[in-house]
Formats: sequence, C-alpha cells, structure tokens
Amino acid sequence: MPEASTHCTLHAEGLTKRFGGFYALRDVTIDVQEGHIHAVIGPNGAGKTTLFNALSGTLAVDSGEITFENQRLEMLKPYRRTALGIARTFQNIRLFEHMTVIENVMVGAHSRSYSALWGAFSGAVLHRPFAQPAVEKTMRDRAFELLDFMGLGQKMDENAEDLAYGERRRLEIARALAIEPRLLLLDEPAAGMNPNETHELDEHIKRIRDRGVTIVLVEHDMNLVMGISDQITVLNFGEKIAEGSPSTIQSDPVVIEAYLGEEEVL
Amino acid sequence: MNPFIESLLVFTGIHIIAAMSFYMPFKTGQVSLGQAGFMGVGAYAAGVITVKFGLPYPVGLIFAGVFTGLIGICVGFPALRIRGIYLLLLTLGFAQIVQVIALTWDYTGAHDGFQGIPYQENTFWYVYGTIIILILFFSRLENSSLGRAMVSIHEDEEAAEVMGIDVVRIKLLAFGLGAVIAGVAGAMFAHYTTYVDSRSFGILLGVEILMFCVVGGVTTYWGPILGAAFLSLLPEGLRTLRDLMELIPLAVTDAIPKGDEIYDWLYELLDFENEKRLIVYGAVLIIMMIIRPQGLLTNKTVRQLMFWKRPSRDA
Repeated sequence: MPEASTHCTLHAEGLTKRFGGFYALRDVTIDVQEGHIHAVIGPNGAGKTTLFNALSGTLAVDSGEITFENQRLEMLKPYRRTALGIARTFQNIRLFEHMTVIENVMVGAHSRSYSALWGAFSGAVLHRPFAQPAVEKTMRDRAFELLDFMGLGQKMDENAEDLAYGERRRLEIARALAIEPRLLLLDEPAAGMNPNETHELDEHIKRIRDRGVTIVLVEHDMNLVMGISDQITVLNFGEKIAEGSPSTIQSDPVVIEAYLGEEEVL
Repeated sequence: MNPFIESLLVFTGIHIIAAMSFYMPFKTGQVSLGQAGFMGVGAYAAGVITVKFGLPYPVGLIFAGVFTGLIGICVGFPALRIRGIYLLLLTLGFAQIVQVIALTWDYTGAHDGFQGIPYQENTFWYVYGTIIILILFFSRLENSSLGRAMVSIHEDEEAAEVMGIDVVRIKLLAFGLGAVIAGVAGAMFAHYTTYVDSRSFGILLGVEILMFCVVGGVTTYWGPILGAAFLSLLPEGLRTLRDLMELIPLAVTDAIPKGDEIYDWLYELLDFENEKRLIVYGAVLIIMMIIRPQGLLTNKTVRQLMFWKRPSRDA
C-alpha cells in the first residue's frame, strides 16, 4: 500500500445530525488525504448521503466542524463551498433536464468565470454588438474539453433529458468538474450501471484523480470500491465503525458483522 | 397614423412589455401575478414626477423604473423562500395592496383617480423603442452565463446552488428587473391614457399578463411577445373579420338555407367590444391547453426558425 501523504484536504470532526430522536450522523470524524480516492460505505440508511449533504452544505449539521484546506465550512452556504473548490454529484441524478449537455457543463463553470453578480450581468448584457465576450468562448471550449474527457463530446447539443442512463451519470460528473474542484464528492456514481459501464466509470474516476482532484465517493458496488479506494470509511447507523485501507476493511470483523447482519434481515 | 390603429398598437406594445416583465422572474422559476401591481407602482411613481414635480417625461420613466425595481426587490425577499402556488398568492396579495393604496392615498387623488397626467404624444415610439431594447437585452441574456444560471435555478434550485450559483442574488435580480420592466410599462400607460385609478391595474390585468405568456409559451422570450401581440390584436382582428362579412353579397346568404340567421349570428358573435375580449381569451386558453400546452413558441421552434444561425462546432 502506498504511503499516504500527510496533507489532509478535508477534515470533519464530531459531525452530528439528528432528525427527531434519530441520529442520521453521530459524532462522525473523517479525514480525507489529498490526492486520495476515499470511499464511504455502509448499509442502507447508514448516513452516507447525510454526510455528503453535510459536507456540501445542503444540510446544516447540529454540531461538529468541517475544515477544508484550513477554511471552516459549517457556516458557509453551498455555493460558497463550491467557490472554495468542492463539487458533488447526486445519488438520484439531478441534471438541468431541459438544457443541452454543453449548457449543463457551462453552468458548472459559471462560478469560475464570474465571481460577482455585477460582472455576470455586465458580461451578459454590456458588450460590443455582434460579438461574444471572450469569457463565453473560453467557457464553451473548456466545457467541450470536459465532455470529451467524459466521452460525451458527440452529445453536446442534445438535451440532457435525452441521454442514456450511463451518459447522464457521466454528464453529472463533467458538470461537477467544470467547477474546477479540488475535492469531488461522488454519491453512488455506479448505481444502476451495468458491469461494463461500471468498469468505464472506474477508469474515469482514476483519471479524474490523476488530474489532481481528491475524491470522496459513496458506493455500494464493493468491487469498484475495493479496486480503486486508497482509504475506506465504514458507517453504520450514523456512526463510524471502521476506517482503513481496503484490505483492512475486508477483514474487519465489525464491518463483516454490519454487512452480514443486514444480509440476515434480507 | 390613424389614431385608432395607433392606440391599438400602443396598448398592444404595453401588453408586450408587461408580458416580458412576467417572463423575467419566470426565467428563474418565479411565477408572479403581481406584475400588474408593479405597473401600478410605476404609473403612480411617474405621475408624481411629471404632475407634482413638473419634471419631464423621460425623468418620470426612469424614476418609475428605479422606484418599482426597489419595491420589486422588497417584494422579492419574502418571495425567495416560497414557490409555486404560494408565490402566486403572495404576488397577488402585493397587487391588492397596491390597489388599496391607490384607492386611499389622497396625494394622488385617492378614489377620484390620478388625474391630469400629461399626454405623451410620442408614446408609440417610446413603447416600441423599449420593446427593441428589451429584445436586445433578452437575446443577450439568453446566450450568457447569467442566463444559463437563471434557467438552471428554474430547473433545479438545489443542484444550481451546489454548482456554485448564487441562487438568492440571481433570483432577486430577476424579480427586481421584472419589476423595473413592469414599472416602465405602467408609466407609459399612464402618460398615454392621462388618467389612472385603482382599477387600472387590477388583478384581472395580472391574470391577462399570465395568459399572454402561457399562450405564447414561456421557454423563450419570443413566446410572451407573440402571446401578448396575438391576444391583444385578436379581438380587433375578429371585428375586422366582421366588417369584411359585410362585403359578402346578399345572393350568397340567400342561397344558403337559413343564411340570414347564420349571418346575423356570426355578425353578432364577432362583435368584440372591450369586455367581451375576455371570452376570446378564455376560449383561446382552453383550446391552447388542449392542442399545444407548451405555448405557441418554444425554444425548439425558435431554434428551428433560426436555422441559419444555429451554433456549430467544426474543428
């Protein structure tokens, strides 16, 4: 196993989220090393997606702190966290269905191109007649490059709603990459994919990591997880029950029990 | 220009601007029935400037736009948190409040209405100049990053926010700009009719504006323009049709059994005085909802019509 770099990109400590009397997250601590592919696994309802929502800011935690590259995140709104370099995808794909494929990606690039509303407004409305602002062309080229990277270059002018399932997943990732993130949160990217598509995805995730993006992924496909992860965190009933390299996790009795326990119920 | 034709075109133009003012916040998914209320604010604001302070018409227009925009942002704040039918009710409530203030505020004539607003003889040019500016504005917005951000908010607000879009500010901007456009429309209306009162900008006008947009289609700015033009001109078009009926030779109606009765019935039917136009609107709306619920124009049809400037990538 390669020696983990000591630089820690994302550090979350004591994350707790309650829904009534139910703890969706209970005192969860997670450290993500820079350049790693870090998987979060656990049985259904273990709190994986809640953790993602807490990290990306769509859900406010009750207590705990999140640090990303020495910046405290808990009080920041989702779009501010995105500006710091955190992107995510959704478990149930959430594309902008009536926009074209390339437009979807260009929305992701918006916050990188215009940091202030006035800039965006003047960039939109106040420019020379019969000319597109240079920013617009850069955005389009960059979006096309990302689509090409995810194997969607041919589909750029189609509506997002017309894509096949696997393509939709890849478009969501391309859109997230347009943010130019340093941390990418993938929520069950292989859900509903056939083995072939999963294998392709595997390659894509590694190539994204090679671009210098740290990846946290929630996934049920154990082959995928064990194959690509550097580090794995296991959640069950909102609590962290194990953490370590794939080989440690595979032989961890607590993890096996959590999964087998679920098998028995089924 | 024939004064009748001119007034018809001026009111059609004002309807077009009003419909575009609805389209602006709708781009981010905010449905407002309060655009008539904003027109009222603009009308009274401009009237105060020209009547009470004696300042020139363009100053009144600009003030109406700015003032209505500020009011729009104030209404936009509570509107941020709610959507769908609740937003409809909130904006409807706003339009009601405007009406009540217009009815009771003595400074602008209260229930006697705001009288003696100077007549602007060049209203036609102001109205159509504004429409051209708005078309330029929207065509640029449509192909810009900001425009895409607005559509993405309409499509999925949470996903847009996670993509780094500042949802709150962009929604406020859209709502405020919609109010500015409506305010200018109201100001021009007031200086054309020279008299406005609390009933000039009632709930019904808000519903009509909504109808223009629904009939025209709301996926592109051409939809509201076409819808407003179509519905505003339709009653007159039908009346013209009636006038043309008079050219039918008597021999034709005599030849058809019961020809006279059919002729009279049609003649009566096509006589659309002002109030009867709502019957046409209602009928058009029902027919549209059945045969073409997406509206007359959609993004796709516009793209097909503009085939010569379809963006292509040949590398």
